[in-house]
Amino acid sequence: MGLLNPRNLAYLASLAVLVAIYLRARAKPTLEVSSLMLFDEIAAPVASSRVLRTDLMFWLEMAALGALSMALAGLYIRSQTPAAHHQARALIFDLGAGMGAREASGTRLDEARRQALEIVAAAKPGDNFSVIGYALEATVRRAPTSHLADVRQAIGELKSAALPARAVAMRAALMRARGTAEIDLFADRAPASDLLNSAGAGTHVRVHQVGEPAANLAIVALEPGTVGASPGRVVVRNFSDRPQLCEVALDLDGHNLLSTTIVLEPRGQTVLPFGPLKQGGLVQARIVTDDALAADNSRWAFAANDKPDTALVMSPSPEARDDLARVLLAVNQSLIVTAIDPVKFDLAKAPRYRIAVLNDADDPGINAAARLIIYPPPWLERTAPPSWQLPVTGTVAVAEMQERADGEQLSQPLALSPARILSLPAWMDVLAHGTGAGSGGSFPLAGFGYDSRGAMGMIAFSVNDHMLLDPDKLEALVLTVEMVKRLLAPQDLQVVSTGGSVSVPAVGVARIVAPDRSVSEARADEMGRVRVRPIEAGRYEISSAGAKAVIYANYYDAGESDLSAVPPAAASSAKATPETAAAMAGRAATQVKPIAMWLVALALVAMLVESALLTRKAMRWRVRDV
Amino acid sequence: MLEARAFEPDFLRRLDGLVLGVQRSRTVREGRRMLGRVQGLGIEPESFKEYTEGDDLRFLDWNAFARLDDLTIRTFRAEREIEVSILVDASASMGLPREDDKLGFALALAASLAYVAMASNDAVRLGAFTAAHGGTPRLETSALHRRRESYPAFRTFVGTVRASGATQMAEAMGRLLLMRRPAGTVMLISDFLVSASDYEQALRSLLRARHEVKVIHVLGDRESNGTYPPGHYRVRDSETGELCEVTLGATAAETCRRRAEQLSADLAAFCAANGIVYARAFGASHFDDIVMREFPRLGVMR
Repeated sequence: MGLLNPRNLAYLASLAVLVAIYLRARAKPTLEVSSLMLFDEIAAPVASSRVLRTDLMFWLEMAALGALSMALAGLYIRSQTPAAHHQARALIFDLGAGMGAREASGTRLDEARRQALEIVAAAKPGDNFSVIGYALEATVRRAPTSHLADVRQAIGELKSAALPARAVAMRAALMRARGTAEIDLFADRAPASDLLNSAGAGTHVRVHQVGEPAANLAIVALEPGTVGASPGRVVVRNFSDRPQLCEVALDLDGHNLLSTTIVLEPRGQTVLPFGPLKQGGLVQARIVTDDALAADNSRWAFAANDKPDTALVMSPSPEARDDLARVLLAVNQSLIVTAIDPVKFDLAKAPRYRIAVLNDADDPGINAAARLIIYPPPWLERTAPPSWQLPVTGTVAVAEMQERADGEQLSQPLALSPARILSLPAWMDVLAHGTGAGSGGSFPLAGFGYDSRGAMGMIAFSVNDHMLLDPDKLEALVLTVEMVKRLLAPQDLQVVSTGGSVSVPAVGVARIVAPDRSVSEARADEMGRVRVRPIEAGRYEISSAGAKAVIYANYYDAGESDLSAVPPAAASSAKATPETAAAMAGRAATQVKPIAMWLVALALVAMLVESALLTRKAMRWRVRDV
Repeated sequence: MLEARAFEPDFLRRLDGLVLGVQRSRTVREGRRMLGRVQGLGIEPESFKEYTEGDDLRFLDWNAFARLDDLTIRTFRAEREIEVSILVDASASMGLPREDDKLGFALALAASLAYVAMASNDAVRLGAFTAAHGGTPRLETSALHRRRESYPAFRTFVGTVRASGATQMAEAMGRLLLMRRPAGTVMLISDFLVSASDYEQALRSLLRARHEVKVIHVLGDRESNGTYPPGHYRVRDSETGELCEVTLGATAAETCRRRAEQLSADLAAFCAANGIVYARAFGASHFDDIVMREFPRLGVMR
């Protein structure tokens, strides 16, 4: 029982008014009679000693006012509705990386699967089940069906992904299950109760928390360093409350570079330096020690060769030229950077660059393997822009970065400098979104793609005034560094994070081999690419028409990798045994039922009864005013 | 007002067949002959007796003396003209409860009885008695009317009667007796919400004056049933101004009803013991039934 609008309880003050009216009516009227002889045997009035004289009318009016006040306050009850046949139920599974943690009898997901199958087995004939999974987002794996074989099959096909289970995804899953009589949520960590209440919309949500606390080690980061120049480092973290022995191996293009064993402090992390590498290539760091979660035990990084490459930074602002040159050298120290003002640039004498960064400058047709266009100026309307020019449709004085390419909403919008609004070509992937004063909604702040001339990146905001070195705008620097890394990475080898979308050049139908050796196919779009979204940590191989590209997907999430959380007692007691599952299937479900209509009906009945009593009184006592 | 009902032609036509239930003739008893030598003046012979000294020679049966040589006195049934006085209590208590229209009810009964009495060409008068707040009793009477043609004259009198003042029944009857009218029939219509001693004294004084007395006890529907609006009241006596607090409701109604029944029974018992016709007329809503059925049944009318 509760109140939806407790503020409206103020209407209960009307009861005080009613009492005041009755107190006022306490003054006795005088009745003139023919003779007191007829009244001399009537007992003295008992009510004369009372403070408040109440009668049936008073209580009826009290009931009517009270009922109306409670109706306005939104009184509701939690009722137990008996489980009926054809009950609709939803099975929601956490498919985050944590559910893939190994335990004695399988993974956490296996345990959840087993409990769910017991619930399905105990279902009454005609019961509907829907199967919903969530990690980064919620997906309905099986629409509501009474065919239990299909439900079991859908449960059996569930797989945990190397992704963090996001709260918004769980909320979305709960919202998709609205309307069902009961929701069974299987997760390895207890969700917040307010989240369940708000998203469940009154439907009873039974949480099945699976998994026991487990020790886990994870590679947090892998920095290959600069070939021949600076050392790299591996960051390893222990999520256990006890010291852990950890054997770490480091490979370069499949050849072991390093194997070492370290002791990690409880809940501590260690930086393991290595190198500098003598040559570039694919670097893989591995935790060889067996632990609960495998997805965060490997990490890949690409180390560029130390072959000197030329880079061009062209910007009218000397500060911006200097900042961008620093960024390029930070990513690859072997680059030979030429920083120049656009007006002094001579295209005829320019060599082929490995990368060209153009800030607030038109591209005169620079010959470069990769180009990064920053804050492009709008093209003059008197002449037609070249085909490689990105069309600028507007400018905002202040832009705010709202979202990064990995789909994560920034904790708070990042205020940036002025930005161009560009209409990105279809072959570019948007890596960041933003909004700005004077613009209609969201527009891309960063994009990346491949055209006929090579890799091309776009950053829409201005980097003048040392904005990249502003510690309050670190996201802008991170975005720029990531963009440069992408531009310098080979096209057929990409190292990405799981959950992100990756475009790979392809022709016709592409064959995709996932890390678990499962094979799928995707048709290339009109831009000659297929989009792959890695959800498993490891190597993806995309092959089409003789061309082959490889994607290495890294996974790490501090929250998801921490498997040491102890399940609360209530949650652990909710584990379904065959008996309890059978009982649960037939058990009543709790539902919130507003009873405003009943309260209004009660008030009406009270008023009708009072009216009837008054009418009867008028007829019986033959008086006009009662 | 209900008294108008007694002057409606339709209602009066229904009364045409009724006569007043009075003891019209009286035998002049031997033992009393010496007192007033009252001889019956009727034409209907009653009996014969021997002449004794002092008998009125006008009633000597000369034919019998001629045939039988006996002095025989012929006696006749007295054919008297009855003087009917119908007195209505016009105290303040008769005006309450207002919904009951008790005074109008009493006046309607009085007028109806007067109309019936005039069928026999008896002399009829209406009267209303009350007492001023100072305590002076007051009795107002109409003129005597004998013929029905003059019945509408009562309407004027009835229209002037208002309920006010206290009830001093014995004093009012004393005023009537001071008129020194011949003994007749006195009909007393009242709610009798006075002390028993008061009405007993009043009725006894009438009996002593050799009046034939009929009592019509009038109460309203509401007060006879106690059906007052429920609630907590301060009730005030209309005549004495006395106050008391009561809680009215179903229980109080039952108590009131019992109390009215008890007062009625006490009065009826007194009347029965003293040869007085007692008729109960509770409830103006039953006016027609009371006049057409109850009064003939109780002997008030025939």
